[in-house]
Amino acid sequence: MLRSLKLLGLSLLIVALPALASAVDVEDEKGTFSIEYTPKRIVVLEFSFADALAAVGISPVGIADDKEKARVLPAVREVIGDWESVGMRSQPSLEVIASLKPDLIIADIGRHEAVYEDLKKIAPTLILRSRRETYEDNLKASAIIGKVVGKHEAMQARLTQHREFMQSYKEKLPKGGSFQFGVARHDLLSLHPEAAYAGGVIKALGLENAKTGAKDGASRRVSLEQLLAVNPDYLIIGEYSKPNVLNDWEKEPLWNVLKAVKNNRIFNVDPNTWSRCRGIMAAEQMAKDLVKILTP
Amino acid sequence: MITPSRFFLFSTLLLVFLALTSLSFGAVSLSFLDVINGFFEDSEHYFTIHEYRLPRTLLAIVVGAMMALSGALVQGVIRNPLASPDVLGVSHGAGLAAVLYMTFLPDASTNWLPEVALVGGLLAAIVLWLLCGTSSSAIKLAITGVAMAALYGSAIDFVLLVKPLEVNNALLWLTGSLWGRGWPQLTSLLPWLLLIPLGLGLAKHLNLIDLGDDSAVCLGTKPNIIRLISLATAVGLTASCVAICGPIGFLGLIAPHLTRRLIGGRHQVLLPATLFVGALLLVIADLVARTINPPIELPAGLMTAIIGAPYFLWLLFSLR
Amino acid sequence: MQYLKQSYTAQCTLLCSLLLVLAWVSLFAWSAVPVTPTDALMALINMDDDKISHHIVWDIRVPRLLTGILVGASLATAGAIMQALTQNPLASPSVLGVKAGAALGMATVSTITPWLGLFSTSAAAMVGGGVAWLLVMLLGSAWKGGGEHGRLVLAGVAISALCAALTKAMVILAEDQASAVMAWLAGSLAGASWDVFYTLLPVTIISLFFAVLISPILNLFQLGEDNAQNLGVSLLWTKLGSSVLVLLLVGGSLAAVGSMGFIGLLIPHIARMLSGYDHRKFMPIAMLLGACLIIASDIISRSIIFPIETPAGALLALFGAPFFIYLVRKRTL
Repeated sequence: MLRSLKLLGLSLLIVALPALASAVDVEDEKGTFSIEYTPKRIVVLEFSFADALAAVGISPVGIADDKEKARVLPAVREVIGDWESVGMRSQPSLEVIASLKPDLIIADIGRHEAVYEDLKKIAPTLILRSRRETYEDNLKASAIIGKVVGKHEAMQARLTQHREFMQSYKEKLPKGGSFQFGVARHDLLSLHPEAAYAGGVIKALGLENAKTGAKDGASRRVSLEQLLAVNPDYLIIGEYSKPNVLNDWEKEPLWNVLKAVKNNRIFNVDPNTWSRCRGIMAAEQMAKDLVKILTP
Repeated sequence: MITPSRFFLFSTLLLVFLALTSLSFGAVSLSFLDVINGFFEDSEHYFTIHEYRLPRTLLAIVVGAMMALSGALVQGVIRNPLASPDVLGVSHGAGLAAVLYMTFLPDASTNWLPEVALVGGLLAAIVLWLLCGTSSSAIKLAITGVAMAALYGSAIDFVLLVKPLEVNNALLWLTGSLWGRGWPQLTSLLPWLLLIPLGLGLAKHLNLIDLGDDSAVCLGTKPNIIRLISLATAVGLTASCVAICGPIGFLGLIAPHLTRRLIGGRHQVLLPATLFVGALLLVIADLVARTINPPIELPAGLMTAIIGAPYFLWLLFSLR
Repeated sequence: MQYLKQSYTAQCTLLCSLLLVLAWVSLFAWSAVPVTPTDALMALINMDDDKISHHIVWDIRVPRLLTGILVGASLATAGAIMQALTQNPLASPSVLGVKAGAALGMATVSTITPWLGLFSTSAAAMVGGGVAWLLVMLLGSAWKGGGEHGRLVLAGVAISALCAALTKAMVILAEDQASAVMAWLAGSLAGASWDVFYTLLPVTIISLFFAVLISPILNLFQLGEDNAQNLGVSLLWTKLGSSVLVLLLVGGSLAAVGSMGFIGLLIPHIARMLSGYDHRKFMPIAMLLGACLIIASDIISRSIIFPIETPAGALLALFGAPFFIYLVRKRTL
């Protein structure tokens, strides 16, 4: 009897050892998250998480992509291939997530805290901050994701590569002048301040953000008069709709008083990359955009 | 008009049928056998059926019934079929509390949202009571409630504009949705179910009030007390539902209305019947909201509004 | 004070000078780019093309001010007409569903087809507001019981709630347009420009002119519909004509600056306190008061969280709602 118990214990140990070896503990927004296997079927509920997975060459099985695959960054799409849409980022469909039988879910504390308990019933859920994150927050979150999916080394290497990439682009970029990224809609322009993601990338590239007087990262609706008060040297615009408020402003004499207009330094970029995606690859794409814009 | 016994038989059958439909359809459609299996823990559909669709469907039934009863009570007291729990300002008060909580404490856990909203809704009812007391006429009470609701509404808009970060989350909550609600929410709603028998018990007195205050007094009813109890019950029902699901607006207006057209205005029949109609409406609304464009989930409050719009038009034409 | 109560001329003069002072203040106060009070005047008299502050005054502040005046006058007049027509002291664009209907119309057009120009959004606002009002009037007159005034208001609330729910739905479905529609719903003069002003001007001036023209008929309405009919007023044509006026006034201003709550409810009551119940006298006073109120709230809205602009409409709604409560409690319904 004793013998067989010992044998059983031994064999359990042998079976458990490799599993223990891959057990990971990380800190997420709800405390310690531990996982004892390397997840194979991952569902992500924000674009930035898909970006982090793509950075280490992992394809998620499901993404909350608002049912518009084009919203995922092209560079990310290239890496991860096809996936199942699990609905809106704000209200992902738990049924579809369950039907994908994931072994890891990565959720955003801002949007998905209310369903955290439900998500945990489907699969181990790593909950991080994505919405309202800064550039540095995002890199930290990516490092955590790398650990959890068993690609710690690969992710660290990718992050180092990313920092080198940003450094090399920083050197390519001309110095001087203030930058402002804004999103133009039908009848309003909102500026993303330094504490927002795009502002963080601009800063990381060694460029100066225009002073908006904003303390937090909330994007802010401005009138032409307030834009004039900010008066950045470079105005980077993502157009969510065309024509938009800028087409109206162009007719105003005051428009021509703007420094960016005078020196012909208004540039259009993809609003999806700049304001919605966030992530390692998104930041690199933004850097590429800036270099393309500034070094003709 | 149909007879009450037929109505109850028919609506029970319909409700059972719709509940089963709601269990088997969604972003992922399941066969009847899968649904049955889903009740057992070893099934692969256990989460979808037992943990997700079942509590959600039950919640839709309960919330629909409660909102409808609340609406019927308010319409009975104010004696106008266009009144709804909205005129008590409860849902707007709850909404304001929720929005303040979400915008000024963005890092606080959203798990406390139901409690915050409940307190807001009850506070709004107390403010209304302080303003009107027991002596005001029903219609004055209703209009004061409307004015209070307008005040809360503009405060909500103001906050959303000054603190634009959480606009979408707040809007989602304000439209009313059953997304992500499950067993815990259903459990927390259970004690409030006691208000249903209380509301049903008021039927006879509400009928007497319908005859006019003088006749009611002659027949041994105290109209002011009955009004107070009815409205307090309605407030409790609405506030508890709003706290869980957000303001699912139109239900309290349409459900009693529809019931009245189906089986008449006698409260002894109207009140229990409206429970069924409300439950049916919300189950349908939630089912449609989940299945119309999967995997996108629309808020159920939006679906009740979309059902409500043509109903109003049809009413207008039938009244001509 | 007593003299002011009696003399109509004195009232008008006082209001005009108040409006002028407010107008002047609004040209320079709380500007993101500094503008001095003298700059504000000099820009009007002797425009210096090289000065930014002059450009700000002339290209932004002046059209903003003029649009504000037109909108304030329109909404106050619309409220006055609605109150006279329904003989209901609570009638106003926001209470009777016109505002919510117009908002729904605009939200539909701007979320589903944002590429259409200004004209079609204002048309959508008018159509939406018109349909909502028609529904409210029909529903309100369909059910007896609960007092004349309460009935109409309840119908207005029901329709408003319906429209608001559908508007919210539009906003949620088109998440990217959400903040735009929200901002529009809040109502702000920040978007006003010469273009907006010139689009608004002809319709508003003509409608305001007709509003003054029909004020004798509105006086007769106060005697009750039956009496008015006996005195030779055509009920159908008056109602139809003044409804069209209301829609033009409300729809135009909504399309120009978004929703400005409670002006239509508030101003006619104040105007009536000043000048009595004769619509011929009280229409112009209401117009002046409306303009003053909207300019004042525009100035305040800029100052609250300077340099961010808080929409004036949201501010008005916040202050207007308590007045609504006061009105309800004062009147015996």
